[in-house]
Amino acid sequence: MLTTYLFFGLALLAVLGALGLIIFKHPMNGAMSFVVTLISLAGLYALLSAKLIFAIQLIVYAGAIMSLIVFIIMFLNIQEKDLPLDPNRWFYVAGGIIVVGPIAGLLINISRTLPATEVTVFDDGFGSVKEVGQLLFTQWLLPFEIVSILLLVALVGAVVLAGKRGVN
Amino acid sequence: MVTHYLSLSVILFCLGILGVVSRRNVFIVFMSIELMLNAANLGFVALSRLHVNMDGHVLALMVMAVAAAEAALALAVIILLHKHKGNLDTNIFSLLKG
Repeated sequence: MLTTYLFFGLALLAVLGALGLIIFKHPMNGAMSFVVTLISLAGLYALLSAKLIFAIQLIVYAGAIMSLIVFIIMFLNIQEKDLPLDPNRWFYVAGGIIVVGPIAGLLINISRTLPATEVTVFDDGFGSVKEVGQLLFTQWLLPFEIVSILLLVALVGAVVLAGKRGVN
Repeated sequence: MVTHYLSLSVILFCLGILGVVSRRNVFIVFMSIELMLNAANLGFVALSRLHVNMDGHVLALMVMAVAAAEAALALAVIILLHKHKGNLDTNIFSLLKG
């Protein structure tokens, strides 16, 4: 029963944070509201007994990626007058709801056809570091290596793009 | 119930699409894309719990690594564009238009 209450509380927080992201005008407010979404998603992963993903969501997403984004927002020193005007933003929101709403309804109805299993938190090794690590380094070894190459290429690309001197 | 988690994932993904469509601030567009990646991650982990199989967790890890690479590159591009144009409006960034 407690997990149900926790789920609805965290889900409400996640949706409110996402709404704040697309409503707030200044990107710093949007980023702070997005951090709320990320942290409540970490709580939802813990409820789904994905212990490793819970820790990595907190450390990598809410920690590293969001602090990078906030750092860049502060680095560019964005004032109120630099923000783009969104005169017909609610028009686009209404159009987007008209397009996306039926698709969302369809997908939610499809997900209702799945078997209704109660979510209980496993206290065995499901989702722990050891079990996921064994899977990652045996069955998923090739995708893991490809992702490491991708990270290396992204690192070199970011240095080449942002580190240019005297090019204007 | 696992279906509630999947519904939440669909709702978050749609909110991300709305953010990309309706906003012109390049930071908000970028963070909405991150929101969509997170919604997909929640779907992976929820289905992984449904089938009691940890492949979804590994896929979520891969998505996070790709998101980190994307964040590094996208922020470098944003800094470059801000240096050139002095603006954050996605409508100004139409350099590739013929």
